[in-house]
Amino acid sequence: MTELRVEGVSLRLGGQPILRGVDLAVRPGEVLGLLGCNGAGKTTLLRIVTRVLAADSGRVWVGDTPLERMPRRELARRLAVVPQETHMPFPFRVGEVVLMGRTPYGGAFALDTPEDRRRAETALTKLGIAHLADRSILDVSGGERQLATVARALAQDPDVLLFDEPTAFLDLRHRVEVLGAVRELAASGRAALVVSHDLGLAARFCDRLALLAEGRVLASGAPAEVLTPANLRAGFGIEADVVPGPDGAPLVVPRVG
Amino acid sequence: MTVLSVRTLLLTLAALSVLLAAAVVFGLGVGSSGLSPGEVWDALRGQAGDGAAADIVLRIRLPRVLLAALVGAALAVAGVSFQALLRNPLADPYILGVSGGAALGGVAMLSFGAALGLGYSAVPPAAFAGAVAATSLLYALAGGRARFSATHLLLTGVVLNAFASALIVFLASVAGFTEGASIFLWLIGSLSGARVELAGWVGGFLALGLAASLPLARGLNALALGEESAEQLGVDVERAKRVLLVATSFMVGAAVSVSGLIGFVGLIVPHLLRLVIGPDHRLLLPAAGLAGAAFLVVCDTLARVVLESRELPVGAVTALVGGPLFLFLLRRHTLGVTR
Amino acid sequence: MRRLPAALALCALAAAAIGAVDPARSAAPSEPASRVVAMNPSLAAMLLAIGARDAVVGVDDYTRGTQPEFADLPAVGGLATPSLERVVALSPDLVVVVPSFEQRDFRAQLREVGIPLLELDPRRFDEVLAALRALGHAVARREQAEARVAAILRARDEVERAVRDLPRPSALLVLQRDPLFVVGRGSFIAEMLESAGARNLGASLDGPYPRVALEWLVTSAPEVLLDSSRDATPAAEYWKRLPSLPAVRADRVVGLSPGTATLPGPWLDRGLWILARALHGDALPESAAP
Repeated sequence: MTELRVEGVSLRLGGQPILRGVDLAVRPGEVLGLLGCNGAGKTTLLRIVTRVLAADSGRVWVGDTPLERMPRRELARRLAVVPQETHMPFPFRVGEVVLMGRTPYGGAFALDTPEDRRRAETALTKLGIAHLADRSILDVSGGERQLATVARALAQDPDVLLFDEPTAFLDLRHRVEVLGAVRELAASGRAALVVSHDLGLAARFCDRLALLAEGRVLASGAPAEVLTPANLRAGFGIEADVVPGPDGAPLVVPRVG
Repeated sequence: MTVLSVRTLLLTLAALSVLLAAAVVFGLGVGSSGLSPGEVWDALRGQAGDGAAADIVLRIRLPRVLLAALVGAALAVAGVSFQALLRNPLADPYILGVSGGAALGGVAMLSFGAALGLGYSAVPPAAFAGAVAATSLLYALAGGRARFSATHLLLTGVVLNAFASALIVFLASVAGFTEGASIFLWLIGSLSGARVELAGWVGGFLALGLAASLPLARGLNALALGEESAEQLGVDVERAKRVLLVATSFMVGAAVSVSGLIGFVGLIVPHLLRLVIGPDHRLLLPAAGLAGAAFLVVCDTLARVVLESRELPVGAVTALVGGPLFLFLLRRHTLGVTR
Repeated sequence: MRRLPAALALCALAAAAIGAVDPARSAAPSEPASRVVAMNPSLAAMLLAIGARDAVVGVDDYTRGTQPEFADLPAVGGLATPSLERVVALSPDLVVVVPSFEQRDFRAQLREVGIPLLELDPRRFDEVLAALRALGHAVARREQAEARVAAILRARDEVERAVRDLPRPSALLVLQRDPLFVVGRGSFIAEMLESAGARNLGASLDGPYPRVALEWLVTSAPEVLLDSSRDATPAAEYWKRLPSLPAVRADRVVGLSPGTATLPGPWLDRGLWILARALHGDALPESAAP
């Protein structure tokens, strides 16, 4: 069974412990929200999972294979990443950007195959941006660009999707659209890990949450189990009330003053 | 959704080949001596005997058109490569200091060659040696770390160029006056020294540059998303950068060594092409080769004929044509009308 | 990268064209000068030729490096990089210069310091002779200067007489191969080519030393091709790649060692004979040559 598993990962950078024995697991069909204040180690963990950094100890598994043993292209077919934002220097069309998701499948110079085209078209349709396919990526809005990035990750046809604060720069409508797309991807059997600062939306769109504090997993489980006043005090250093929202998901209300 | 099909690829390249063929006909057919088309045709078929027409067409125009095409192609392909590598559409083939090294090598030979008993024919090898030295230095300085950062590369290149410029100014200051004039004219860029052997030399490095960059074309598309994103799409970004840096630098070095610093070709041709055929490197790289060749052949032909018997350095023509054109495109670009 | 060296190299180009001011401008003193600094190779060669070596206390670096008689003098900077301080330190009573662009600040500063300045601009044949005379006057070597002038004029008469009945071949004198520069019109060399019995094809072009297209050179089909460029490849070998040239076919491509006939110096008489021999070869009467 394919999933993403992080086992006892520790890392020191410049002598400072950043991660201290982190354990996490994302199952197929599940969206795991990764929460924590700035400096808690979320981004570092993501960089280890994408092999930008190597852990001092511990291991990351993608399915049955340890991350460090997986060939680059194989990893790209199994795991896709949606960054906060993409700065694009050239006027590629939205459709061309989505097709870039097929890079790990093609040969060197290879032109796009009918399979590539079909996957890209499906992804565009799924995210509701098929009408933008021939527009320049430089001419569409920030929200549309992020949807295109999600579509690109989808065209990559991975088992695991990583989202690094995918909605940081979006307005509310686009946040809901992007996170809705994440949910749908999970529904099709993929595992998704979403780093987020938006506790309300995370509680609504994630099956489980993990709260990271000072390089450790402070709490993990269902949203209502993780988002407690005690955890929020320990994880974010804030006083907050947690009340059930209209849909049953917990709602965090920070106290002012 | 529009995708790059074999048909689009072939049709575009065929259209650009026709454009290049037209430029070559123009370059062979036009010159200060006013040969008739019939005389040019006879000379090309080897039926002009050993008259002036044979010399003019076969020994003056032909090597020049050939060299202009190869240098133009090399500069335009190098422009596309460096722009993709540095993720910066304003990069040009001369940005990474390779040209500075080549110019320094050439200028050193122009300054001291006569004293060492070496003639003008020693200038291209010296310039190429300078380019190789600059590339090695760039590689050691910017690539000597675990990761090869584009910013680091760019800054190192800019400083290398500035340093080479300072040494060139020094050499020009101490050179005698005939050498000083040669240095100035060589730096502007000119194809007046065209010989068939030089064409073979540039052609070889153009082939190397294309052989290195074409297989990376799809990876270069992904690189536009950012280095980390490209890596996550399975592209070996480190390897791509190193291969492209070395192959492209040698290609630029070969071009500069035979023609000096011809400006704007590597900037204007990729830019214009992106507006017309889009930024997909699988199409853009070969297209840049053809369009760059056509552009420089036309510019060099203009350089030969606009002043009748006298001759302009082609670098002045590319700057006169390219400068205003580029400003115009830049203006449109900032207004957001990219396509 | 492409712009930085241009400004400086431009100065060097201006130096190659040699000056741009009227030739007779002079602030020479009435007393003969005995401590002279010469900041130009042609003027230094003239001083040497009129026996005034002992009056010279400094020359530019280029002259110092190319004329061994001056090798023991102190360095005072190059043609484009003269050192005012070193010149002043020699306490000269006269500085002789060509009014070139890159020495303009140097000249202005010398005037300010109050050092007498003699500006000479020998571009045409007569101006070379006038410069010789002016130098002879300035360093009290008038007789020697007059003798040199007379020798040059005599040589011109003799050369003109010797070639009078010979055919006048069309000719081009190449100064530099790539980029290609030839002798045009309005210079001492152009005048000497005419005196030596050539039809200078470059006279149809504008300017004294125009840059031309190689194609133009082929079209103009010179019967004699003179080449004084500084290049290791011998002239005959270099030009044989253009077999349609009449000069190549008739084996009348002649290499001139750079500077022999093409420097506006004191030895124009030798230059005239060199040109005459290069243009006419064996057709020149044996007795005519000096």
